[in-house]
Amino acid sequence: MRLHPLTSLAAAGSTAVITTAAACFPLSVAVGAGAVGLSFVAGVAHRMLPAAAAVLVPLGLSLLVLHGLFFPEGGTVLAQWGPARVTSEGLQFAVERVAQLSAAVLALMLFSFSVSVPDLVAALSSRGVTGRFGFVLASTLTLVPAISVRVQRIRQAQESRGLLIRRGWAHRVIAFRLQAVPLVLSLVDEAGTRAQALEARGFSSRGPRTSYREVPDPPFQRGVRLVLLLAAVAAIAARLGFPTAGA
Amino acid sequence: MRDTSAPALAAHIRRFTYHGDAAPVLGGISLSLAPGTLTAVLGGSGSGKSTLGRLLAGWLRPGRGGVMDGFLELAGTRLEFRGTPGDPQIDPTAWCRRIGFVPQDAAASLSTVRATVAEELAFGLENLGTGRADMLEAVRRVASLTGLDQLLDRDPARISGGELRRLAIGCAMINGPAVLVLDEPFASLDADGSAALTALVRSLVADGTAVVVLTQEVDALLHDADHCILLSNGASVVEGTAAQLAASGELAAAGVMGACTGRDGSAPRQPARAGQAGIPEAGIASVPAGLPALELRDVRFAYERPPARRRSRRPAAGAANPAVLDGVCLAIHPGEIVAVTGPNGAGKSTLLRHLNGLLQPLAGSVRINGQDIAGLLPGRVAADVGLLFQNPRDQLFERTAEREVGFGLAGGRAATASVRRALAAVGLAEAAGTHPAELPASRQRLLALATVLARQPRVMALDEPTVGLDRHGLAMLDTAVRQAAAAGAAVVLVTHDLAYARSVAHRMVRLDAGRLHRI
Amino acid sequence: MSSPSLTLPPQSPAAARNRRLLEILGALAIAGTYIYLVLNQPADITGGPGSAAALIALSGFLVGAVLLIVAVLPTLPVSTLVLIPVALVLNIVLGQFVGSTLVPFYLDAIGTVLIAVLAGPAAGAATGALSSIVWSFFNPTVLPFAAGAALIGCLAGLAARHGVFRRFYLVPVAGFLTGIIGGVVSAPVAAFVFGGTSGLATGAIVSAFRSMGDSLLAAITKQALISDPMDKAIVFTLVALLVYALPRRTRLQFPFVRRHRVLAGLDVQPGLDVQPGPDMEAGRPTGQDS
Repeated sequence: MRLHPLTSLAAAGSTAVITTAAACFPLSVAVGAGAVGLSFVAGVAHRMLPAAAAVLVPLGLSLLVLHGLFFPEGGTVLAQWGPARVTSEGLQFAVERVAQLSAAVLALMLFSFSVSVPDLVAALSSRGVTGRFGFVLASTLTLVPAISVRVQRIRQAQESRGLLIRRGWAHRVIAFRLQAVPLVLSLVDEAGTRAQALEARGFSSRGPRTSYREVPDPPFQRGVRLVLLLAAVAAIAARLGFPTAGA
Repeated sequence: MRDTSAPALAAHIRRFTYHGDAAPVLGGISLSLAPGTLTAVLGGSGSGKSTLGRLLAGWLRPGRGGVMDGFLELAGTRLEFRGTPGDPQIDPTAWCRRIGFVPQDAAASLSTVRATVAEELAFGLENLGTGRADMLEAVRRVASLTGLDQLLDRDPARISGGELRRLAIGCAMINGPAVLVLDEPFASLDADGSAALTALVRSLVADGTAVVVLTQEVDALLHDADHCILLSNGASVVEGTAAQLAASGELAAAGVMGACTGRDGSAPRQPARAGQAGIPEAGIASVPAGLPALELRDVRFAYERPPARRRSRRPAAGAANPAVLDGVCLAIHPGEIVAVTGPNGAGKSTLLRHLNGLLQPLAGSVRINGQDIAGLLPGRVAADVGLLFQNPRDQLFERTAEREVGFGLAGGRAATASVRRALAAVGLAEAAGTHPAELPASRQRLLALATVLARQPRVMALDEPTVGLDRHGLAMLDTAVRQAAAAGAAVVLVTHDLAYARSVAHRMVRLDAGRLHRI
Repeated sequence: MSSPSLTLPPQSPAAARNRRLLEILGALAIAGTYIYLVLNQPADITGGPGSAAALIALSGFLVGAVLLIVAVLPTLPVSTLVLIPVALVLNIVLGQFVGSTLVPFYLDAIGTVLIAVLAGPAAGAATGALSSIVWSFFNPTVLPFAAGAALIGCLAGLAARHGVFRRFYLVPVAGFLTGIIGGVVSAPVAAFVFGGTSGLATGAIVSAFRSMGDSLLAAITKQALISDPMDKAIVFTLVALLVYALPRRTRLQFPFVRRHRVLAGLDVQPGLDVQPGPDMEAGRPTGQDS
C-alpha cells in the first residue's frame, strides 16, 4: 500500500517523539536499526546513510569526547589524565544520548529521503495555510542543486577576468563578496520576477484551490494518522507526569 | 460578454518612474488594443519596452514598483493613477485573469514548485480553484497549441530554452486571457520554433485575443501587425502600420534590427557601421607567418562523468565517456578573426574554456604566444586571454560600471585612461557611475565586453557576443572586434549568427563531433 | 470610475488582530519554555538522560516557532515569500559548508538576516523558523533551534528598522548583541535535547568549561557566548556588505526599506517618494513589516 505523505510524516514524527520520551536504550537502538532497515527496503539507503553519517558522526564524537572525558557529576572514575576523567556515568550518558538522537534523526531522515516531494506539496496545498509552507519547501529543494551550478559559473567568469583567489582571511572575505554579490543579486532579481509571475498566476488569490496532482488519501490512513498523533501526545504526557520513570 | 467595439486594453502613460530613479523611464505613450488584433511595440535596448509590457500586464504595479501618472483601462474598467497614496491598487489575480504576459526571461516565470510540465501549466488554474475535469481539458488544449504534448511529464527544470519559452507562453494563455503580451518572444528560438510561434500567435489573434509583441527586431510576424509603435527613450516616436514605420526612417535610429533590408533581407543583421572609414575591412590578404598568438595542438577532452549518469556501475577511468573535443587543432595569428560555429551541444563553450585554463585538456596542449598554459591558474592566464561569457550577469560584480571595467587593472593613470577608452568604445561613457545591474541586459553585455577590451588581451575569446544586442550594440561590438584585431589581437568568436560571422571573420571553422572543420 | 473587481480591498483589522495574537502566543511559548528550563535545569541533567527537559525544550520551542510561522506566513506579500527560499538556500548551503569545517562558527543565518533587513522583523522571524524546519529535511538536528533562528531574524529586522544599517560601524555591534541573546536562548536546546553541541569545534570549547566543573547548561551557555556573538557580528557585517552592493532599484523595491529608510544613501535624492511626508505611504498596503 502506498503511504500518503502526511501519514509517513506522522509516523516519523511520532516515532521520534516517542523514542525521545521513552529514553530507553534498547528502544532507541531498535528504532535506529528499524529506520536503517526500512531505508534499504525503500531503496534510499545509498543516499540517506551518507547524509545521516555526516550529521551523526560529528555529533556522536563530540558527545563522546565531551561526556566521556569531562563529566564532573560522575563518581565511578575509570581513568584520569590531568583534568580529564573518564567516568562510567559520563560514558553511559553519552552512549544513551547518542542512541536516542540517532533514532530520532534516522526516523526523520527516512521520511525526508523517501517522501515524494511533489506529493507532499500537493497534500499540503490542499490544506489551507500550509500551501505557502509547501511553496517554500518545494522551491528551496529546487533551488539548492541549481545554486552550486551557478556559483561555479560565476567563479569561472571571474577567474577569466583575472580574479586570483589567494590564501588568507582578508582575501577570502573579498572573494566571498565578489561571488556572493552576483549570486544574491541574480537570485533576488529572479525572485522579483517570480513574485510577479506567481501573482499573475493567482498565487495570492484567497479563494479555494484545486490540485492537478492526485494524492490518494484513504480513510484508513487518516485513522492511522490520528492514532499516531495521539500516541505521541500520550508519550509526552506520560513522561511529563513521571519525569524519572525508566531513566 | 466581450464588447467588440470597446478596446480590450487601453492605456495612457504620461509618466512612469521607478522608485529611486530621478528620471521617468516611460513618458508619453497611448495605446488602445481592439480584440483580435496584433500590436507590435518596437524599440532598441533601453527604450522601455519591457517596462511598458510589465506595466500593461499588471506585473509592475503602479505604487509598488514605481510612480505612475496616467490610466490603464482593462475590460471596460479605467483605473486612474496620479502617483499619490489614494491611487487604486491593482489586484494582480483579477487583472491577470484578463491579460497574460510572457517575460524575456522565461525561466524566471516558472513557479519552481511543480514537478512536471503538466502541473506547471495547471498551476494558474489550481490557484483559481478550477475543477479537475476543466483543468485536464485546458492543459491538453494548451499543450497541443504550444506543441508541449510530448513533454507533459518532463521536469520543467530540465527542458531546453525553446521548450521553456513555449511553456511560459502556455502558462500565460491557459486562463484564456483577452490580451496576451509577449516580450521578445523570438529571442533564442531557432527557425522551426519561430515558425511555430508565429502560427500560434496568428491563431490566437484569429480567435479574438489582442496580442502585443515587444521586440527589437523586425521579423516576419510584424507584417501581420495591425498597429506598430516605435519606442525611443520611453516615448512613442512613430505609430502606424509596419510599412509606415519602415518609411519613416526612424527604425534604424531607434536601434531596431533588420529595419533597412525588410523582408527579403539578404543580410538582415548587417551591422550599421561595418566598413566605415577608419575601421579595417575584413579579409587579410596573406596569413601572417610567425608565432601564432593562440595555438591548440590536438586537444582532447571529455567530462569525467557524463551529465546523465544513472547507473551505479562506474565506467573504467573515463574510457566510456564520449569525447567532447577529439583532436582539436587551431592556430590563430595576431590580427586574425576566426569564427567558430556548430550545432547546439557540440562543445563550443567547452572549447572556449580551454583557452584560458578553466578546463585542462586530457591530451594535447594549449599555447598562448608559444607558451603552454597547462597548470597555470585561469586568473594568471587572464592577463593574455580575455574571455567573454554568454551570460553577462555572472561576470559583473562591482558597484559601478567604471569600477567593473577597472577591476584587476594595475591602477594609475594608464589604467584610468584604458577604462575610459573601453567604456567609450561600447557607448557607456556616460554610464560610468551606474550600477551594472541597473543597465538593460544588452548594455550589460557591452559592459562585459568592455571589461575584456580594457585589458587589451592578446587573445580575445567571445562566446555568442551578438545575442540580445540591438542595432547600435551590434555596431559597437563590430567596431570593437575589428579595432582589437587591427591592434594585433587574435579574436575567437563563437556564434550561431552565421551572417555576422561571415561579415567579420577572416576564417570560419565548424565544431562537429569533437573536431574542427574548415568552412 | 473604479471597479472593485480589479483592485485590492484594504486589509481588514480583524485579520491584523488575529495575526498579532498568534505572534504574541508564539513569543510567550518560546519565552515560557526558556524560563522553565533555566529554572528547573539542575534537577534534570544528573538524573540520567533528561528526556522530560528535552521534550519540554523541543515542544515548547517548536510550538512557538510554528505559531510564529502560522501568524506571519499568510500575511507576507508574495514578493517577500519568494525571497524566503532564496534565503533558505543561502542559509543551508553556507551553514552546511561551514558546519563541515573546524571553525567554531555557523554562518547559517546570512539569508535570514538578509530578509530581515530587506523585509522587516516579522519576515525575518518567519524566515529563521522556516529555515530550521526546511533544513531539517537534510539535517534533523537543526529542527530544535527553530525558535532561536526566529529570534535572530526578528532582532535583525528590529535593528534594521531602527537605522542600525545606516551606520556601518553599528552593524557588527548589533550583530554581537543579537548573538548574545540568540546564543543564550539556544543554549538550553543544545543542553537538554542534545546534551552537547553538534560540532567538534564547539564541543571542544564546551569540554573546556566542563573540565572546570561547570554544569552542562552553564558550559554550553558560555560556549554560546563565545561563538554566537562573533558569528552574528560576522553575519551582520557580511549582510551589510551584500545589501550595499545591491543596486538602488533592487533595494528600493522593498517597501520596508523605503518606509523606514533602512539603508544610508537612499534619502538624499530630491523628488523621490522616499522623502518624509505623505508620499512615504507609497508601499503601505502590503503590510510587509510589523
